[in-house]
Amino acid sequence: MTRLADDAIARLRAAATWPALPPDRYEIRRPLGRGGMGAVYAAYDRRLEREVAIKVSNAPAPSGPLEARLRQEARVLAHLEHPGIVPVHDAGALEDGRWFYVMKYVRGATLSQHVAAHAGEAAALAVFERIAETVAFAHAAGVVHRDLKPSNIMVGAFGEVLVLDWGVAKRLPPARTEPAVDIDDAARRSPPTAESSAGPATASGTRMGTPGFMAPEQQRGDAASAGPAADVYALGALLFWLLAGTPPATAEGAARGLAALQPRPSRRLRAIIGRCLAESDGARYPDAAALVDDLGRYRAGLAVQAHPESVLERAGRFLDRYRAFILLLAAYLAMRAFFAWLRRP
Amino acid sequence: MGFPATRQSVLERVGSADEGVRRDAFGDLAAGYWKPSYHYLRLQWRLAPEEAEDAVQAFFATAFEKQYIERYDPAQAKFRTFLRVCLDRYVQNLRKAAVAEKRGGGAALLSLDFPGAERELDEMAAAVADPDRFFHDETVRFLFARTVASLQAACAAAGRDIVYRVFERHDLAPAPETSYASVARDLGISVSQVTNHLHAARRQLRDLALGELRALSATDDEYRREARDLFGLEIEP
Repeated sequence: MTRLADDAIARLRAAATWPALPPDRYEIRRPLGRGGMGAVYAAYDRRLEREVAIKVSNAPAPSGPLEARLRQEARVLAHLEHPGIVPVHDAGALEDGRWFYVMKYVRGATLSQHVAAHAGEAAALAVFERIAETVAFAHAAGVVHRDLKPSNIMVGAFGEVLVLDWGVAKRLPPARTEPAVDIDDAARRSPPTAESSAGPATASGTRMGTPGFMAPEQQRGDAASAGPAADVYALGALLFWLLAGTPPATAEGAARGLAALQPRPSRRLRAIIGRCLAESDGARYPDAAALVDDLGRYRAGLAVQAHPESVLERAGRFLDRYRAFILLLAAYLAMRAFFAWLRRP
Repeated sequence: MGFPATRQSVLERVGSADEGVRRDAFGDLAAGYWKPSYHYLRLQWRLAPEEAEDAVQAFFATAFEKQYIERYDPAQAKFRTFLRVCLDRYVQNLRKAAVAEKRGGGAALLSLDFPGAERELDEMAAAVADPDRFFHDETVRFLFARTVASLQAACAAAGRDIVYRVFERHDLAPAPETSYASVARDLGISVSQVTNHLHAARRQLRDLALGELRALSATDDEYRREARDLFGLEIEP
């Protein structure tokens, strides 16, 4: 028996979990990454002659919560047809029981790489608006992401922004008047069927999300009550991160951090971020669409809902918004006055 | 269908009232841990080859006789760490007494390839920086070496040597720029045969490795943790 070198052991570890997909359809090429729920591989779709990414569950049992979560993620992605969400092409089960789904292979930069190459408030707001619009689309479709953070955002080769990793997403009930239903929690309470025999993967008391981007209700482990406002909190933290380079520790810390930035963001933009990061979910924007609307107002130079203006601020914003017109008018009036002065008797 | 759980845990088996089951459990323990133990004693304790051989044989025999393993508490440490600490204490005691007096104890000596283990020392670092890390890495290395040997034997027994040869060329010891096509060309088979053989070999490798891991893990929880750490797989309870 020969001594195995470290690289041989690494290959054997990879080989032991290598997914056995139909070889006439998919050729697995290399692992791209592994997370708590599954591993992602770069693969080649022989039939359609294109590169794809394949996510394979870590757990084989058909009743396992991880497998149920991967199914859930694939279904959420398939349900959300939007340019900012990676499309799912195919899904199925491996011979050993592990579930997989096939999605578009995304080429591009991580959000961190993109920000490093495109600094400044205007660039940050441009990319953030795309992210928020994608999340707003998901909210409108009754889906909450619950784990928005920089590493889950990619910027494609043509500038398209993609929101990834919907593995802990939650579907909301059609009518918002009822409390939000955690699908895994519901699966736990419902009698098991052949289709939904999954155990609880997100029971109440489970923390879901990433520190720094996690809403207070998620930090408390109250996963069941984390609705669209939890995503709004994460979006606020993302916008803060885009401007400051670090996630906010608290809403107060964020306010201090933004005020100390050079150049300092305007009071209205700081107010928008502050509203997103409010401790109480009721004090935040109700969903991402409301945030997108307010951000649109900010970018158009209009008053924002997050910040009630004083008369002076309104005048200042008016001057700022119509600066060119006011300057032209002032120049015109100055010329008129000058010529009037020349013609004086 | 799921990942296999072919054997009971070590703790269940060493606690068995059936002497044969207990003896088999110790046989599995010795088979899985003797080489990491030998290398550990050679490098950490600086025992001479003959001393290390005797100590390893005697350690497992004494562990069987004195019921060391039954004292393991999963809440206190990993089983591997417990075993290493037992080994440390055993060697400390051994230095106070003659090895020969500790040997035997009703258990037959194991047939172990100590010269082979000794040759491997040439490829290893001269000292152990982190005893726990060293024991872990050596255990994993030996687990895979035994798994690969089992895979080769299973393929040969089934008259499917070609499966192992494909696996060896593609996964175990690939030449630079190895591809399905190059392996197919080298072995005179089609690319689809290569992918089919690899699929069979990888699956059998995983089943064998998990079986080995199961036999060497003290408890079900430890087995699940080890499977997650080693392969990223979640084994359902």
